[in-house]
Amino acid sequence: MSREVILTTPLKSEDVMSLRVRDVVYINGVVYTARDLAHIRIAEYLKEGKPLPVDLRGAVIYHAGPATRRRNDEWEMIVIGPTTSMRMEPFSELLLGRLGVKAIVGKGGMGEGTQEALKKYVGVYLLAPPGCGVLQAKFVKRILAVHWLDLGMPEAIWVLEVSNWGPLVVAMDSHGGNLFKDVKEGAVRKMHEILKSWVVLQ
Amino acid sequence: MRVIDEKSLYEIALELVKRSSTRIAPDAMFLLRQAYQREKSLAAKRMLEAMIRNAELAAETGKPVCQSPGYPVVYVKMSPVIIVNANIQKVFQKAIVDATKMGYLRPSMVHPITRRNPGDNSGVGVPDVEIEISPEQDYTELIISFKGCGAELANVVKVLTPAQVGKDGIGIKRLVLESVIAAGGVPCPPVGIGIGIGGQIHQATKLSRKAIGAREWTDTNPDLELAKLENELLSAVNSLGIGPAGVGGNTTALAVKIEMAYTHTAICPIAINFHCWVARRSGIRIYSDGSTAFKEDMYRPPI
Repeated sequence: MSREVILTTPLKSEDVMSLRVRDVVYINGVVYTARDLAHIRIAEYLKEGKPLPVDLRGAVIYHAGPATRRRNDEWEMIVIGPTTSMRMEPFSELLLGRLGVKAIVGKGGMGEGTQEALKKYVGVYLLAPPGCGVLQAKFVKRILAVHWLDLGMPEAIWVLEVSNWGPLVVAMDSHGGNLFKDVKEGAVRKMHEILKSWVVLQ
Repeated sequence: MRVIDEKSLYEIALELVKRSSTRIAPDAMFLLRQAYQREKSLAAKRMLEAMIRNAELAAETGKPVCQSPGYPVVYVKMSPVIIVNANIQKVFQKAIVDATKMGYLRPSMVHPITRRNPGDNSGVGVPDVEIEISPEQDYTELIISFKGCGAELANVVKVLTPAQVGKDGIGIKRLVLESVIAAGGVPCPPVGIGIGIGGQIHQATKLSRKAIGAREWTDTNPDLELAKLENELLSAVNSLGIGPAGVGGNTTALAVKIEMAYTHTAICPIAINFHCWVARRSGIRIYSDGSTAFKEDMYRPPI
């Protein structure tokens, strides 16, 4: 039976372990955006032994590139929505293992490597509703900081204070559960039933 | 005879672009609300709720429904007595460029090979325009449809042999179900599915885009055989259980729309065209007395 769960950052392993696929999550606290270029730079910095501008222990990473506006020395969020997570697949071991990230939020799901890392380091992959840029922006109470803006507005790391950010659906959990795999297997079974019934009708 | 000049066409074009970027078509909204009532699982219900709320907020605040603006196609059905005396493609491109500068559309059109982005959604072939003459119409109709491009990645085009079509088109139906499963959550379900069948492959693809881009998602196909196939496929697709955003549930598609053309005896071209739930479409009718009406304002949900 799926549940609705409210979590506060930084996330602990116990928080993550209690989650199962199909649960619906709402997050309070701090969220870090990162997409392609930020991930590449994080990997470079770690390789070169340079310090990162953010501490990602217990962190929530959001695969998203926001549209923001600067007004009176403060950043303002216009729209923000999830981007396809699969592109960040090569970095999961690094983020979850080495940096201690606890949750990844995005669109479309991730691969085998992430599934393994989520299990090994106790993490969770959450799905944000697609195409909901205006609604998602409403949960951002404040933009706390922005790092690496030289990568461009969508590619920078935006540090966001969020309140009751959701609904986010648990799509991959720390126990090996994978919602997309379940859904796909069910769909293939159902398709064979339908095709059989069509043939019988003839 | 009424003539629509360049200046009035520009005003119409700009209004259609603004309307379609900030709100989704009322027929799609109706189907989303209906789906919300029908869904049982918590995750699916919450996803639909977020989509409906997001569309409402965008309409209230005049912000773009989705950060990604999609690709524009303009469908023109011209009455022989109400004619447009302007380069429709150029006028709509100017309206799109101006709407981009006003913040309605993110600059997203690029050169297909170099990926150079001119920064204002201008470019060769943008928007695509299809013009047809309808002798029986006492109005001229213009529809703009912005279809998202994540959904485009799930599209399927194929030329089947008569043997592959099979009895009662079972090969076509099978291909649709397989394509929906392969697509999963990628095209941002609940989707609209446009299917073009027949002609040569270029006709099938054009028909597929028009079926889901220009038609209202709650309409009934005047071709009774196609209407039956649309209903059959819609219920089959929804029984697959992929659900809103791919989280599982009984709403995978809001609509299946099929258009066909006769084809050659050796082939059956088919195009399956996915549309995300964000149905950005706006249309206008211009009558011979000069009065106008927006299609979405005239919309009545099915009883």
